[in-house]
Amino acid sequence: MAAVAIHQFAQCITCHAWSPDHSMVAFCPNNNEVHIYKLVREKWEKLHVLYKHDQIVSAIDWSLRSNKIVTASHDRNSYVWNQEGSEWVPTLVILRLNRAALCVQWSPKENKFAVGSGAKTVCICYYEEENNWWVSKLIRKKHNSSVTSVAWHPNNILIATTSTDGKCRVFSTFIKGVDARATGISSSNDAKFGEQIVQLDLSSTWTFGVKWSPSGNTLAYAGHNSMIYFVDDVGPSPSAQSVAFRDLPLRDVLFVSDRMAIGVGFDCNPMVFAADERGIWSFVRFLDERKIAPSSSKYSSQLLGSCTANRNME
Amino acid sequence: MANSLRSYLTCIRNTLDAAMCLQNFPCQEVERHNKPEVELKTSPELLLNPILICRNEAEKCLIETSINSIRVSIKVKQADELENILAKKFLRFLSMRAEAFQVLRRKPVQGYDLSFLITNYHCEDMQKHKLIDFIVQFMEDIDKEISELKLSVNTRGRLVATEFLKQFI
Repeated sequence: MAAVAIHQFAQCITCHAWSPDHSMVAFCPNNNEVHIYKLVREKWEKLHVLYKHDQIVSAIDWSLRSNKIVTASHDRNSYVWNQEGSEWVPTLVILRLNRAALCVQWSPKENKFAVGSGAKTVCICYYEEENNWWVSKLIRKKHNSSVTSVAWHPNNILIATTSTDGKCRVFSTFIKGVDARATGISSSNDAKFGEQIVQLDLSSTWTFGVKWSPSGNTLAYAGHNSMIYFVDDVGPSPSAQSVAFRDLPLRDVLFVSDRMAIGVGFDCNPMVFAADERGIWSFVRFLDERKIAPSSSKYSSQLLGSCTANRNME
Repeated sequence: MANSLRSYLTCIRNTLDAAMCLQNFPCQEVERHNKPEVELKTSPELLLNPILICRNEAEKCLIETSINSIRVSIKVKQADELENILAKKFLRFLSMRAEAFQVLRRKPVQGYDLSFLITNYHCEDMQKHKLIDFIVQFMEDIDKEISELKLSVNTRGRLVATEFLKQFI
């Protein structure tokens, strides 16, 4: 199956995010701007350019219900953009970071977002109504190296992070006043903010692209040693599987369903992984035919976007 | 003889294929900076194991990788004194013009004759497999160049000597 559509927006794309209805895409063309393009009658047209950051924008996320864009950049800043009329207006985010921001993601309820940074910290940001800005609480001293990617569990409290120290960790981000305490005794909701639930030391080298499955049962992440790890029952006794493959390492992972995941990486060819009835994961096939692709790892972020679009259009 | 060159270059090409998986990575030590980690070596977790590929005692290639940069150092074959001098002069000539090559390092790493420094920015501007082709072709051509230079030095010496000694005939 070849790509559904191929469009070259720029020579290099650092990060991208789809709008809730998948008609628009926001991306960073390897500089400090964010471009928003809209699909108008089979052609992509540039709608807006968001200028605010001083250095390259490393991550963008577009919330599904509230239509807000959050951007994070190597200049240690992050902005939340709200669409007012035909303009996008930035809101300041007090991140309190002293190194670059590397990844960002809205929580499922979209009242918080998480930013992973090169300062070996994760910032969990929530909105403060009185001052009209987003404030952050930091998860500090838990990582030994830069945090490369973050992923929220569907319950809006747990967050998984991967780092260049080779470990994947799951934390609780319960914030009083923002998260409602669930009725009944549940160990994850009893945990304090920043408490580490589990630390997975499966990879011997850098880890990237952590994602939860749609039900929240399985956690997947890729290691730079050309392996992808799937962990079930994340908790006191997780059960992990690793799938090794011959090709170049993966850079990001996307769950299409609870039993199928797609990995993209330095091969410039998406790999499909599936779990059988017993829950054993294995590599199924490549999505594209083997060809010499002219792009590098940035391709991974671009491909994931087209996979998201494909999945939602099926 | 040609076989060992082929397998040496194939080995280097495959290693570079795997090692050149670079990405943009901001410096962890200094804010707002972006430096090639393989040169700084400040964070050991960002460096991968270096690989040394030897064709024989005289020729080898050291490949050091990190998360955003890779350093390839080569030691070319220098069989005798003349080749020693020729190689030194020729590679110094190239290294001084490193800007034109973009991926060449101005000074070779200690113990080697020539070094390349490739960063993620090079991989973004240029195609990865073409970069690898360039390096492997470069190594092949260096050997040929130095042999040609040696031949031409010897030929020239012979011509000059013949001309000079003609006057005594």
